[in-house]
Amino acid sequence: MRKTTSARIAQLCFLALFLVLFLMTEYQGSDRIVAAVNGFFRADPLVAASTMLAVKGYVPLLLPGLVVLFLALFLGRFFCGWICPLGTLLDLVTGRIKKAGALPPLTGGAKYWLLFPLLFASLFGVNLAGLLDPIALLLRALTFFFHPLAGDAVRGVWRSLYGVIGERRDLLDPGYRLVRDYLIPFRETLYPLAFFSALLFFLILFLERYETRAWCRRLCPLGTLLGLVARLGPLRRVPEKLCPDCRACREHCPTSFDRELLQSEECILCMECEARCPARRIRFRFGRPRLDFPASAGRRVFLGGILGGVVLAKSFRFRAPEAQAKLLRPPGVRDEEVFLKKCVRCGECMKVCLRSALYPAFLQAGPEALYTPLVIPRLGYCEYNCTLCGQVCPSGAIPDLQPEEKRREVIGKAVFDKNHCLPFAKRTDCIVCEEHCPVPGKAIRSEAVTLTGFDGKPVTVQQPYVVDELCNGCGICENVCPLEGKAAIEVFRVKDRTPLSAPSRDASPPDPYAGVKG
Amino acid sequence: MERRKFLKVLGLSSLFLHGWLKELFAAQGATVAVAQGGDHAATTRKALAALGGMQRFVKPGQTVVVKPNIGWDRTPEYAATTNPAVVKALVEECLKAGAKRVKVFDRTCNDPRRCYTSSGIEATLKGMRNVEVKQIEEERFKKVALNGKVLKDAELYGEALSADVYINVPVAKHHGLSRLTLGMKNVMGIMGGNRGAIHRNLDQALADVNAVFRPQLTVIDATRILVAHGPQGGSLADVKVLNQIIASTDMVAADAYATTLFGLKPADIAVTRTAYQRGLGEMRLDRMRIVRA
Repeated sequence: MRKTTSARIAQLCFLALFLVLFLMTEYQGSDRIVAAVNGFFRADPLVAASTMLAVKGYVPLLLPGLVVLFLALFLGRFFCGWICPLGTLLDLVTGRIKKAGALPPLTGGAKYWLLFPLLFASLFGVNLAGLLDPIALLLRALTFFFHPLAGDAVRGVWRSLYGVIGERRDLLDPGYRLVRDYLIPFRETLYPLAFFSALLFFLILFLERYETRAWCRRLCPLGTLLGLVARLGPLRRVPEKLCPDCRACREHCPTSFDRELLQSEECILCMECEARCPARRIRFRFGRPRLDFPASAGRRVFLGGILGGVVLAKSFRFRAPEAQAKLLRPPGVRDEEVFLKKCVRCGECMKVCLRSALYPAFLQAGPEALYTPLVIPRLGYCEYNCTLCGQVCPSGAIPDLQPEEKRREVIGKAVFDKNHCLPFAKRTDCIVCEEHCPVPGKAIRSEAVTLTGFDGKPVTVQQPYVVDELCNGCGICENVCPLEGKAAIEVFRVKDRTPLSAPSRDASPPDPYAGVKG
Repeated sequence: MERRKFLKVLGLSSLFLHGWLKELFAAQGATVAVAQGGDHAATTRKALAALGGMQRFVKPGQTVVVKPNIGWDRTPEYAATTNPAVVKALVEECLKAGAKRVKVFDRTCNDPRRCYTSSGIEATLKGMRNVEVKQIEEERFKKVALNGKVLKDAELYGEALSADVYINVPVAKHHGLSRLTLGMKNVMGIMGGNRGAIHRNLDQALADVNAVFRPQLTVIDATRILVAHGPQGGSLADVKVLNQIIASTDMVAADAYATTLFGLKPADIAVTRTAYQRGLGEMRLDRMRIVRA
């Protein structure tokens, strides 16, 4: 066990905070969410840098990220050693993993070959940084894999308990309620890419077989960015080299002492060396700024980064037109291009989605949209009064709207397929879609039509139709359509997503509850 | 000899008179209490008292289910869900009559968390002893044989099946398909599976379920009714305040009376008509005793 240092305490606090905020990223009985894990992304310099490069403008929500980047100039990679929850997780498990020595392809400039193309791709309009952002990686593994798995397990036990002890299970209900309300997801949702998200996470753990914090020092684009800035700054460890009479730092340092000289772009400021130095020689102090770039991040990598950025930006753009019809974005997203530039791919909107309507895109929206949220109405619809996805989105890719604004935002438009729809195809009544349509004036209406039934007798059925001017594409109609498999009404993407006009305040009807005792 | 003959005649005539006798008893059985007043809790109690009070239905130590409509994510003033004041009054009366436990639930259409919150029902009943407001748990549905005209069986909620007393508390409102949704349709809140599928033959399907699963008491919330764009509404322009509570042991009779509040005749509603034709209750207004309170 390592000695308790301030860095250690900070790490555990931030990890706990991260997990608590993760669990709080869920509907808790009020329209506004109290706190969500989005703060971590807003303070994430990689997200800030890549998003602002992509939109070529200042994004106020991400100001904390810029602040952290600025602080890194003075405090080095303190984020990695004191805050990053993924780093903390690695520190917690790494002691149990035997090391096999550095993996040759990863040493040297590999991390710069990762960071520069990502940043230049952002500059050329394709923001992919979120795919490899450590916090996003961790959150996606939690959201798509670990949390649903935990929910499944707990709920499975709870259900089978009912089969075993029946109504007596009620005695345990208060305890289960606590678990259900605070620890596990509200409903079981299977996510596409769950396996892939878990795989990436386990791959990072696997790298610990080679060296401590292998991901952090060799690959992590966030760490690399902070390291570049840190190297320019004035913070110094004294002495800079291993002392010839001791060399113990080599054992204690998790990241930077595989050579004689401390690699300042890899130092995560855990300060283990200072705490453990038998001679108490080591100090961290401010000196004169060095203003040099690491040799491995030289001109070649920089130019290669530009080239890589162009390749990424231009080769990740293909989108099959027929697939686009069902590419429905969360409410409030009006422009696909802007959305893709801003989306962090963190998965928070999918975590919080009240009806599990949002799922990560695989390749439907083109490779550049991997992990971006899509509404899949057949699996879950957008709840009319809910605004949670916009509230948790760290970068404002999904705007944070008031309920009355959000209800008017257009996700798509519903279209009937009369070859499937029962009142048309089977000449029987149905109208479940109209029943569920949440728009006060009903965007789905029906007319009574008298037809000759298939038995030759006249039948009167209600045939539905869509009022485009009122339809916001929430998808509840497609979700509840009682047909199996393909729904007879489907929401399709529309180019013009101008919000619906505000409902007319017709002579302000009196509040029927006024003056009535509750 | 004389006595035998008399018995024979009596026996034979009872065969012929069977239908008439049944109607006679049915007509006597259908008492509909209609209470009016701005204090909705007190109005609910008045309607109950007119039927003989809750102690007529709930005996000490019994488990009671009060089943309101919590189907939609709407606040109470939109008349899409049952008035929480009415639900609370009923729950209190059940407890007063000695109920061991009162359970309140509904299988919602919108997100259950939002529905339970927005309807005000969860908050109103919060902290009451021996009262349970729980969301539906899928594993509690049990397959029940109906052998009805269109439904052979249905998944019904275990807590409703196992309750000693079941009180049906719908809100009276407009519906696109069945024109109105009242007591008969409120049973859908304890049905599992693909509920949308029964809309193909809604009136017969509802009669099938209600023929087997029969609430002891139906209390229709007409404190305010939704007259258009049901069953969700969403605009106060579609809401009409009536301050009425209708209670009856005969669900069809309660539904029939509530129909008149919308300016319609009971026979206009296929669900009510079918239920009546299948002998589930009385829909002829002149054959029921309407007690105003």
